[in-house]
Amino acid sequence: MVRLENVGKSYGSDAEILHDVSLQLDPGGLYFLTGNSGAGKTTLLKIIYLAEPPSRGMVTLFDTDVSTSDRAAHTALRHRIGIVFQDVRLIDHLTVRDNVALPLRVARAPEREIRENVPELLSWMGLDGKLDCCPATLSGGEQQRVAIARAIVRRPDLLIADEPTGNVDDDIAMLLVRVFERINKLGTTVLIATHDIAFARQFAHRRYHLAKGALSVVNDGAPAQ
Amino acid sequence: MIATLRLPLQMRLDLPLRQDASSRFLPWIIALMVYLATTGGIALIWLGDALGNWDAALTSTLTLQLPADTSDARIDVAIATLKQAKGVVSARLLDQSETARLLQPWLGTSAPVDALPLPRLIDARVDPKVDIDYPTLRQHLDSIIPNAQLDSNRTWLGNMRSFALRLEGVIGVGVIVVALLIVTIVVFTARIGMAIHRSAIELLHLLGAQDEYIARQFQIHALWLGLRGGLIGAAAALATVIILGPGGYVLALPVPIATRGVFDWRLWLLVVVAVLAAGGVAMVTARMTVLRQLGRMP
Repeated sequence: MVRLENVGKSYGSDAEILHDVSLQLDPGGLYFLTGNSGAGKTTLLKIIYLAEPPSRGMVTLFDTDVSTSDRAAHTALRHRIGIVFQDVRLIDHLTVRDNVALPLRVARAPEREIRENVPELLSWMGLDGKLDCCPATLSGGEQQRVAIARAIVRRPDLLIADEPTGNVDDDIAMLLVRVFERINKLGTTVLIATHDIAFARQFAHRRYHLAKGALSVVNDGAPAQ
Repeated sequence: MIATLRLPLQMRLDLPLRQDASSRFLPWIIALMVYLATTGGIALIWLGDALGNWDAALTSTLTLQLPADTSDARIDVAIATLKQAKGVVSARLLDQSETARLLQPWLGTSAPVDALPLPRLIDARVDPKVDIDYPTLRQHLDSIIPNAQLDSNRTWLGNMRSFALRLEGVIGVGVIVVALLIVTIVVFTARIGMAIHRSAIELLHLLGAQDEYIARQFQIHALWLGLRGGLIGAAAALATVIILGPGGYVLALPVPIATRGVFDWRLWLLVVVAVLAAGGVAMVTARMTVLRQLGRMP
């Protein structure tokens, strides 16, 4: 599903942030990506979700070589990826309902589908009664769940979550990982990035660890399959 | 028609463009531009009309000016000489009151015209299609009445035409400059909007929004602002026309610039075109600017 081979990333003439990163995410897997702050996790995720091009190496998404594909192909690939951003990135002037509906609207889904699916999904996420609220009125945990709902509303093949548990307490963090596991059980490949290595170790999932721009597989969790 | 117009204007925007400061000032700047362009356009219409009127009125007349003390007998001879000239259809002596009215723009209404030595004026109708031999005619008239002045109006009209055409050119350039200013302002506004909403635009891009989808948000917003500014500017231009007068003469020239005021259908057409052009220029400019900027994203 996702394959990176010898990927390197640098900005301008600065030193490389990522060196020779190779990674493979198989369909249906749930993975953790750990590493201290500044290790390059977000940069690596950005390369996967097509926000940044790699400086070198090869990136293959859903059997498509992204370095040789055009903008239209990238747009189509993005429709298959759900992203939970580190800074949540909810649009303040839109309601919770409209924030979650965004991926459907940009994909030109019929409004009928949006009216049916969005409330149902928010209910599934335990956000009944919050449909017409502004994001600013929600707690951090609720905002995070809205962001997750937005990421999965289009039933993506790949869900990428960048520090989804970073700004919530342990109970909520545990709850969010359970949500990701439920999504994963529905067939979506999930990649969760966190700086909290101890937290990631609690779960029996395959883990990649990034240190000083180099990626390694850590075998302290059970394989995803 | 109204429903389809309202639909795009009221379309839900994912980006909070309506809250931008530009949403408040841009319509007023566009309004000013549209006001200048519309009043310029109205001036062009009036000037065009005036040129037509001058052509029609002055190419078919000539005036013979005689000294105030010319005897009636000499005047009769002069009239007969004029009538005999090839191309002259008729000739008649203007009475004192007609002469006084013609001089009113220079002398005012309170001047004691009866006490003044007003020249005697003979008004002749000529066939504009016939080339009159003015040197010979002048020679004949001069031999009858020394100091007689034959004014064909053609030189004066030629100068006025040339001035009016230059004025038309200046106004035309002004309208083009105004359009370019609108384009420039909208380009900067769209760029500022993109900078302000960079994060949300990036979000939409990463969610898989096509450039077209994001550009539409800006172009619909710009269309709305342009139309609003255009309406304000056009309304102000119409108000100016109403203040100038419901119709009639706007300038007290000997050959006046006549207007039909707000009853002129061309004025309304101009207003509609100006409003639509303001919206259209704003929309297309915003669209092109945003698409160009989006094209730089990975």
